[in-house]
Amino acid sequence: MIEEPYRWVEAIANRREYIEAQLAPGSPIAALGYRDGILFLTVGQARQKIFEIYNRIAMGAIGHPGDIERLRMAAIELASTEGFTRSATDVSLRRLVHYSLSPVMKSAFEQVYGPPYLARMLFAEVGERPEEDLFLRVEYDGEIATNGATYAQARQDFAALSGTQQSREQMEAFLATQHAQDANLETTFNSALDAWSIGHMTLQTDDAKEPPERAAVRKHRQEQLASAGIEAALLERDASRAIRYRSLSDKELRPLIRD
Amino acid sequence: MERSPVAVGQNFSGATGDFPKLLRSKGLLASAIIAPAPLAGTPQKGWQPTEATTILAFKFSGGVLVAGDRRATAGNTVVYDRADKVLEIDRHSIMAIAGVPATAWEMARVLEHSFQYFRRTQLQEMSVDGKVRALSKLLRDNFGFVMQGVGVVVPIFATYDSHPKPEARLYFYDAMGAQFEATDYAATGSGSPAVRGILYYENNWGAKPLHNLSEDEAVSIALRALDTAAESDTSTGGVDRMGRIYPIIKIVSREGITTLPESKIAAVFKETVA
Repeated sequence: MIEEPYRWVEAIANRREYIEAQLAPGSPIAALGYRDGILFLTVGQARQKIFEIYNRIAMGAIGHPGDIERLRMAAIELASTEGFTRSATDVSLRRLVHYSLSPVMKSAFEQVYGPPYLARMLFAEVGERPEEDLFLRVEYDGEIATNGATYAQARQDFAALSGTQQSREQMEAFLATQHAQDANLETTFNSALDAWSIGHMTLQTDDAKEPPERAAVRKHRQEQLASAGIEAALLERDASRAIRYRSLSDKELRPLIRD
Repeated sequence: MERSPVAVGQNFSGATGDFPKLLRSKGLLASAIIAPAPLAGTPQKGWQPTEATTILAFKFSGGVLVAGDRRATAGNTVVYDRADKVLEIDRHSIMAIAGVPATAWEMARVLEHSFQYFRRTQLQEMSVDGKVRALSKLLRDNFGFVMQGVGVVVPIFATYDSHPKPEARLYFYDAMGAQFEATDYAATGSGSPAVRGILYYENNWGAKPLHNLSEDEAVSIALRALDTAAESDTSTGGVDRMGRIYPIIKIVSREGITTLPESKIAAVFKETVA
């Protein structure tokens, strides 16, 4: 089948369509850089979606749990080995993603007789200063999107991950106007909740050119929070401890909700 | 097919959360080959236990206090007078070492990464029993080196167990990896016989038993004990009065680990020891 080049291209296109369909119901994850660190947030999932990778690195993922686990384990293994043989400061998210994870995901995706990774991941690494925070989104085909901390371009202090491109873009559009880098945890948390709600609402509509109304977002948020739990984690900027990752409980966060 | 740079195999080691195993699979952790028995008649130097230092730990009202002198020696020579032998492994665990520093620090690094690796891969904290056992296993794996006369390590492990009953826990080991839980105190290193005598005396006939001591009283006893050990043991630094070098003292409690500042130790020393 794949001896002919156009057949291969067709196979890849089919595969892309299949994976996109599989990932489409994935509930959004928002990661927001703020004064004291980076906040990861999602709502209402049966299984954990936000994970600690290394001292300053966290990951959020949607997709098949088996594939997420394999990639998560690989990332932890690589980071831990590097941290052990060199030092914790030598562990870098940029190297981890660019040199190790992305090539593996790309080749798995393009080898049409083997299984691809059904996963889409969002990584963040907290820096000493907010300008040094790095966000990387890695797609199932190894494609990487960054917030621009690596090269001189307009950088963003947030990143979003969702089942569809449309949903993600709505979240990003919202965060670009509503999120401020010097915000405190409470404000950041509420922006993240709104971004999640917008992403989640957009997933359920086929055609969402316009961002949802503010009142509709609030209503959707309330409805969802009534039955689902908040899953969140922080990468703290506080340099006095080596391990910056801290998961936040639903109980701890509920009092911070502002309508 | 070319082998990918990341081995994301079906049998990835993360499934068990065993970090030493991962290191070994990558050739990053040396294990000693136990030498065959020497031929009859070959003169063989016996194994000399060299654990030149003094480490002590005891439970007091505020948790567990762990103290160690700062001297590092090679034979009769003092090579370093600011060695740190009381090492933090995680937020609630301390490993204090007597023995060969190279091996001990490497062990501490392996241990620190093991606990973190387990938590990150398995998404749960390793139990205190698991941690205690992990150190025991490292010692056991190191025994080949010990038999060759290099790399003996005899540590003390202090931690705070918040589950099921919140309490500070203290363990000491032998070079082969046997673990013993201490009810009140533990000491290791060449200066430990003197220290053990003092702690036994204080615990039974002192002003109050060790577990009732306040922080200042505990620090005072730790300093007196180390000073006593240094008096007869050349490998123990004790308190360097001229250089103003004080022992390292750390406390493990429910809140985590506190390293006592030098100024505080100096004040207690001036008041009750000097």
